[in-house]
Amino acid sequence: MKNIRNLGVIFFPAYDWAISPTHPEREERLLYTQDQLREEGVFDLPNITEYKPEIATYADIERIHFCFPGPREVSTESHLVAAGGAIKAARLVMEKEVDRAFALVRPPGHHAMKVVHGNRGFCNINNEAVLIEFIREHYGNKRVAIVDTDCHHGDGTQDIYWHDPNILFISLHQDGRTLYPGTGFSEELGGPTARGRTINIPLPPNTSDEGFLYVIDNLIQPIIDDFKPDVIINSAGQDNHYGDPITNMNFSAQGYARLNEKLNPDIAVLEGGYSIQGALPYVNLGIVLAMAGLDYSQVREPDYNPESLRQSPQITEYIEKLCALTMKNYLKPPPLNVKPNQYDTRSKSVYYDTDGINDQQLEQIMVCTSCSGVRHLTSKTHRNSSCMGIEIPIDACKRCRDEGYRLLDEGRRNFKGTTIKFINRLEQEYQTVNEFELTPMGRYYF
Amino acid sequence: MLLGIDVGGTHTDAVIIDRKGVAATAKVETDHSNLISSLDGVLEKILNSGPDRAISKINLSTTLTTNAIIENELEEVGVLAVSGPGLAEDYFNRDLGEHFHLLEGSIDHRGTQRLALDEAAAKNAVAHCQNRKLKVFAVVSKFSPRNPEIEQTLADLVSSQSDFTTIGHRISGRLNFPRRLATAYYNAAVWRHFNTFADAITQSLKKHNLNAPLNILKADGGTINFKSSRNNPIQTILSGPAASVMGIIALSSITEDAIILDIGGTTTDIAIFANGAPLLEKEGISFGGRPTSVRAIDTHSIGIGGDSVITINPDGKVLVGPLRIGPPMAHSGPQPTLIDACNVKGLCNLGDIDKSFSGLKKLAEQNQLTIEKLADETLNVALKAIQLEATKLLDSINQRPVYTVEEVMHGEKIIPQRLYVMGGPAAILAPLLGQTFDLETEVPENYAVANAIGAALTRTTMEIELFADTGKKTMFIPNLNIKRKVSSSYSLNEAQNDGVGEMVKYLKENNHPEIEHEDVSVVEAESFNMVDDYSVGSKTIRVSCQIRPGLEKDYLEGVK
Repeated sequence: MKNIRNLGVIFFPAYDWAISPTHPEREERLLYTQDQLREEGVFDLPNITEYKPEIATYADIERIHFCFPGPREVSTESHLVAAGGAIKAARLVMEKEVDRAFALVRPPGHHAMKVVHGNRGFCNINNEAVLIEFIREHYGNKRVAIVDTDCHHGDGTQDIYWHDPNILFISLHQDGRTLYPGTGFSEELGGPTARGRTINIPLPPNTSDEGFLYVIDNLIQPIIDDFKPDVIINSAGQDNHYGDPITNMNFSAQGYARLNEKLNPDIAVLEGGYSIQGALPYVNLGIVLAMAGLDYSQVREPDYNPESLRQSPQITEYIEKLCALTMKNYLKPPPLNVKPNQYDTRSKSVYYDTDGINDQQLEQIMVCTSCSGVRHLTSKTHRNSSCMGIEIPIDACKRCRDEGYRLLDEGRRNFKGTTIKFINRLEQEYQTVNEFELTPMGRYYF
Repeated sequence: MLLGIDVGGTHTDAVIIDRKGVAATAKVETDHSNLISSLDGVLEKILNSGPDRAISKINLSTTLTTNAIIENELEEVGVLAVSGPGLAEDYFNRDLGEHFHLLEGSIDHRGTQRLALDEAAAKNAVAHCQNRKLKVFAVVSKFSPRNPEIEQTLADLVSSQSDFTTIGHRISGRLNFPRRLATAYYNAAVWRHFNTFADAITQSLKKHNLNAPLNILKADGGTINFKSSRNNPIQTILSGPAASVMGIIALSSITEDAIILDIGGTTTDIAIFANGAPLLEKEGISFGGRPTSVRAIDTHSIGIGGDSVITINPDGKVLVGPLRIGPPMAHSGPQPTLIDACNVKGLCNLGDIDKSFSGLKKLAEQNQLTIEKLADETLNVALKAIQLEATKLLDSINQRPVYTVEEVMHGEKIIPQRLYVMGGPAAILAPLLGQTFDLETEVPENYAVANAIGAALTRTTMEIELFADTGKKTMFIPNLNIKRKVSSSYSLNEAQNDGVGEMVKYLKENNHPEIEHEDVSVVEAESFNMVDDYSVGSKTIRVSCQIRPGLEKDYLEGVK
């Protein structure tokens, strides 16, 4: 027997929720996973317990997202339960009721960005971010490492923590030149106050177990050892699997189990993965056993053939070079051309594929030398016209804190848009200013 | 008239019930080395207690199977298991004997055979069992409730040398391979012992001119007919607590969410009712360290009863139980007990009160306490511990995982409205328990023979699962071994009708002509679209039907 740990599994398949009847994110997605877990009797094992999710509140969501016009409008009850599942996982681990927790929940969340207007990449609410802010709210300002093992770049989580030096975000995924969302390249390394705290590892199509585990051993593990997080989270997508219908990788259930054994995350949160019959039952079982420190050697897909999945020497060589380069970028990220204690601006265009929304964003970050810097952005869509978000970070210095309130005050007086969202993580103050409050006279005249 | 018999751990109780109520009762001590003599004794006593009575049904609750397992009177079983990929053997072979043979082969979650059974290895295993002169077998494959083929092949292979074979999918249609395996193993291991006993029961009833249909009690608050029990002896384990719970329903009119406490000498059993019906455990009983698929009324036991001894730990904390060393001092026991504290508090007047006083006084003085303080603290500790255990059970039920947004957001919670207390010290402790729980409290009359009354009035229960796959055009009811072709347009509605219909048909053919369609509840009915290449192809349909625990309505009025 190996290193046995108590594992809590929050299993929430949302059997009454789908994006549409034939969408990959549909009722049936975790059905066969549940069949497998039940038939294996995993919840009868003395160190594995099943838990019911909590229900996240709008306050849990507004702690991290700028939702326009508000959290009620951009989420459904299913999102509150999935995020509540992630919160339950955090609570179980932080209060030491279990050693490890796996939120096996849907809908997923890692494509949900700082600003939320609707659903993109099957995601509305970022479950991992809700979880992390829940931890920081209730258990102190912890250092957290998120390793996103979904096949798609975790662009939402990256966007949320782009400026936060206390959150290490590592995404390994199929190269953005070949897959949605088309981002996550090596040079994306975080904003000016959190340089090197975002790490992207774009892997070539057909990477197999060998490649993934090489990245874990030779890149991710050393980085985590250096960063010394208090909490490690696996943003656990299962679409790197060789059977996945919408990706092109060659990862297996054995590989996923090995990855989790090596990474040893405190908490895992399910993300994507759509080979619901051929992969998910085995991958999920493998992850559950690995997290619980139990023998997973007999877990394999019925059609598993490691010989046919072996990666080419070219891929191996490519990955070795990629890891060396990425390690260099982490240890010594190329400097940005920014001036200290002034705003740095980035503009971006975000497309919500599911809801067909185009968002034009302009984001400013104070390049602060003593904190993460106040964040100020405007977001413009045809749906919500112009919106503003202001965030005072959890580690804000006095200057950035006061600057946040100045921006809010100025916004109240001069902003010509519909809504301002204000997040003060330092003092836990949250405000929404709606359009009729924006000018003393009100916008509408009758 | 109905005859109910409970062969319990200490006593064997019998009652005869007619439409006016309890017509006769009898009690003898249970002789563990000879249960049949206890049965004979109680029958003798009750049948001679009055005029000849026309018994129309006999229900029997017995500890035979339970004892056989506890005392390890288990026959050696040839176990043939097929697991396929998944958990390693250590996790499902929970010490299931020396003749456990794990064979190659695999069926997946959809019931598709992914790897054929290694028949050569299976034949070797069978030959090995033959050499060891094994006569009973358990054959179990993973996902057999989805596809029984491998199990059927194995059963055929052993049939020529087997006196009895337990086939996994006939045990339970629910998914849980390790439980199915353990249950099948036990069922085979106690089969011969149970059937010897069953033969003796038949003789005993004949001797007493009883020829009414006989049913055996199960742990889920229901019965199984005698003939079926011969092939499913494992279903008869741990039926005692269920008989008591059914008894309390008979004696009161529980219609609401409620907590039931059965306070005995050594323990208090706690059960929770939802809308007047007892709740079953989610999966099944754990027995001898092995979880099984035998359903049971969800009860928690705490080591506090009337005879629990009072002790004081080195920190000066008063403890009650879990030990029982003897009767209360009032009944010449060796150490002060909970009942002695009740005597001191004036809550009751049992036996020699002076002995209660002197016992508590001695213990109090040794620990610099007043006798009053010790008695108060004893009651306080006992009542709080019982309440804590009940709250834990309630929380665990209310926190059971659910799998739809609707149920998480708007699911109903169980909120007890009333407390029912039964057992020896019930009347003494009920008012205080009512205060502790802050609930209205009721103590049913006649509780002394509630177990036998429960046994007499209990009706049959049953559970089946139906699994259909319209892509494969199959419908399968594992426990009844019904496998049929269906059309690709087979619907959830048809599946529900088939589930209910087949269950009623089976019961009518097996000694239960009284069972009708309305007795069966559909407890789960789900249909999922299976999508291939982004278009809706076929459906996977799962239906679960149940006859819930219930009582003979015609006789209920008289008993109350």
